[in-house]
Amino acid sequence: MSSQTPFVYVVDDDQRVREALSSLISSAGFRVATFQSAAEFLESEKQDAAACLVLDLQLPGTSGLELQQQLADGDAPPIIFMSGHGDVPSSVRAMKNGATEFLSKPFGDEELLRAIEAAIGLDRAARAKRSELAELQRHYNLLTPREREVLPFVVAGFANKVTAADLGTSEITIGVHRGQIMRKMEAKSLAELVRMTDKLGVPRITKPA
Amino acid sequence: MNGQPTELAEEIKRLQRCINDLVSVLALSAMWSGAEPSQIAHTLLDALLGTLQLDLIYVQLKEVAGQPPIEMIRFAHASEKIADSHEVGVSLRQWVGTDPHKWPSVMRRTIGDREVSIVPLGLGLHGEFGLIVAGSERTDFPQQTEKLILTVAANQAFIGLQEARLLIEQKHLAGELDRRVAQRTTELAAANEELRKEIAERRHAEEALRSSEEKHRVIVEAANDAIVSMDERGDILSANPATQNIFGYDPTEVVGKPLTILMPEMMRSLHEKGFKRYLATGKRHLNWQSVEVIAQRKDGQTFPVEVSFGEMTHDGHKIFTGFIRDVSEKTKAVEALRNSQAQLARATRIATVGEFAASIAHEINQPLAAVVTNGHACLRWLSAGPSGLTKAQEAAERIVRDGKEAGEVVRRIRALFKHAPPDKVDLDLNELIGEVLRLLADEALKRNVKVETDLGDDLAAVEGDRVQLQQLLFNLLLNGIEAMDPILDRPRRLFIRSQRQNPDTVLVEIEDSGVGIENSEKVFEAFFTTKEKGMGMGLAVCRSIVDAHRGRLWAASGKGEGTTFSFTLPTQASVPS
Repeated sequence: MSSQTPFVYVVDDDQRVREALSSLISSAGFRVATFQSAAEFLESEKQDAAACLVLDLQLPGTSGLELQQQLADGDAPPIIFMSGHGDVPSSVRAMKNGATEFLSKPFGDEELLRAIEAAIGLDRAARAKRSELAELQRHYNLLTPREREVLPFVVAGFANKVTAADLGTSEITIGVHRGQIMRKMEAKSLAELVRMTDKLGVPRITKPA
Repeated sequence: MNGQPTELAEEIKRLQRCINDLVSVLALSAMWSGAEPSQIAHTLLDALLGTLQLDLIYVQLKEVAGQPPIEMIRFAHASEKIADSHEVGVSLRQWVGTDPHKWPSVMRRTIGDREVSIVPLGLGLHGEFGLIVAGSERTDFPQQTEKLILTVAANQAFIGLQEARLLIEQKHLAGELDRRVAQRTTELAAANEELRKEIAERRHAEEALRSSEEKHRVIVEAANDAIVSMDERGDILSANPATQNIFGYDPTEVVGKPLTILMPEMMRSLHEKGFKRYLATGKRHLNWQSVEVIAQRKDGQTFPVEVSFGEMTHDGHKIFTGFIRDVSEKTKAVEALRNSQAQLARATRIATVGEFAASIAHEINQPLAAVVTNGHACLRWLSAGPSGLTKAQEAAERIVRDGKEAGEVVRRIRALFKHAPPDKVDLDLNELIGEVLRLLADEALKRNVKVETDLGDDLAAVEGDRVQLQQLLFNLLLNGIEAMDPILDRPRRLFIRSQRQNPDTVLVEIEDSGVGIENSEKVFEAFFTTKEKGMGMGLAVCRSIVDAHRGRLWAASGKGEGTTFSFTLPTQASVPS
């Protein structure tokens, strides 16, 4: 198993269930970490890999639904819920809050593993999106304050001459800034630079002041 | 008589004149009839002055019947008035004196500047009406005839005055009578008015009284409560119409009957005793305000009533009035409430059972889920080839382990609901009773319950499960102790008796002095409880324990007074081995 092997976190207060799930999930080639409470899961160190959370609804202390709420803001992995009884109101709430699956114990292996695959797929996509953005942010951070000032004019398609007049400097200086921006952002074309600034949320200028 | 014809003729003439004068004077009385004294005096003076050719004539009338005294004087010639009547009168009276009997028949006196012969004459036998004085300058005055006429006139005047006096007195009397009549009439009128007022007041008071009586009568008649009065003998004096509705008796029917006819048999002597004691000592054997007792209708049916008593003394005798309210409906309502509370309690128990079932399901579901998951894992490891064998074996071992555990859960639950056959050993029930009583000694002390025992010394041993029989005794004794919590008016007493009922059976009785139970069979149903925090399982468990020991358990309760739980167990000798 490599460091890229997805991780499945299991939270259930029943040791027998934890053992069984750990065995089943690892048989499918995932890495597994089990926790007996929400608190234990929150305190643990997470691996930097695609992952999902298999969470029991009825937990002593912080319940499954409460843990879901606490994780809602961060970059937490997708959640698959398990429950001893078919508690309809709870399952509806769990799904509304973004759970990817709700399984009633006892469940079949295919049922669980399909849900895990799907959840990890979602997490992978989310992670990719997060890492691309992080890379762009890293490049953007290399820009000097003046270059960050010039960037919106460049992506808005203004001529160097117009930008220079607006910022009160020479056309040649703007040309130098523009070259630096393209290099630091590793943009191969103006079109790519425009897409990058969109993802970063850099404000566009529609009209020179 | 010398026989001189002229003289004779003169004499005849004079006598004739005298007779005429006498007739005139006698006629005066006719004029005086009904006249007042002053008019009489006037007429007399005028007549005498004219008839007798007098120069003056004076009359003094004394006070007559309240009439003021009168003095009058006439002179023959008005111009010759020589003095006024009063002055002359004073002089004349001085001359004649006061005693008419001493008066001279004539005297010569000077009045003014004239010499006058005066003749005083009393009016009345003793001059009681006054006097008349006639005067003339003639020296021969009075001649015989003149004297006669004066005397007759004076007598006539006297008669007239007497009459006048009578008249005045009569008038006076009549006036007085009128005045008195008027006064009396006024007094009578006032008295009459007073009387009328008094009558009006009395009528008003009577009306007020009648109206107040009417008001009370209306209240008593219209009351929904029976209002029954009785005397010191305990006999009914009156009963209002509501008595008909409540007791079924016509109000007139019960009058004169003892009050106890409105009570059930069992209460009558108690009432009579209490009533007698009250009359003798003034001590009430029950509260007089809103006391709840049992009453009896005419048809013999008993029902609960709330009674308040009042007492009053009338003519030295005590009258008691009872206000009796039928509270059957209220009691029914309370009962219905209690029933619905009991139902609610049972519903709660059932809900609890639902929760219990859910928790049982969870207990089984967890290992079951583990078993299924392990089974899948096992299969997957097996299909993964030799490298997965160890993992597959581990999973299979977990399946066995968790499967057993699920089985254990099921067994525990079954044991909970169905008693396994008791583990039987020979037991001495008295010893068991002693052990349980020691366990409960503190509880009994805390709840102020006196525990008494009568344990038979000829008990045969019974064969049974020690723990179960302990549980049985513990439940029954604790129940008895707790049942007496509401009892405040009598000793809390728990009595335990054991005896050999027959060679094959031992009987144990547990008797409390609590409030009793209503349904002696229902109490053994599971989830039936009268305790606020009870599960309703205690007696159900007791019954199943006794059943498992082939014995019998039952309850009996006197109305409102204590409950006896009894159970029998077969003796060891009777149990076929």
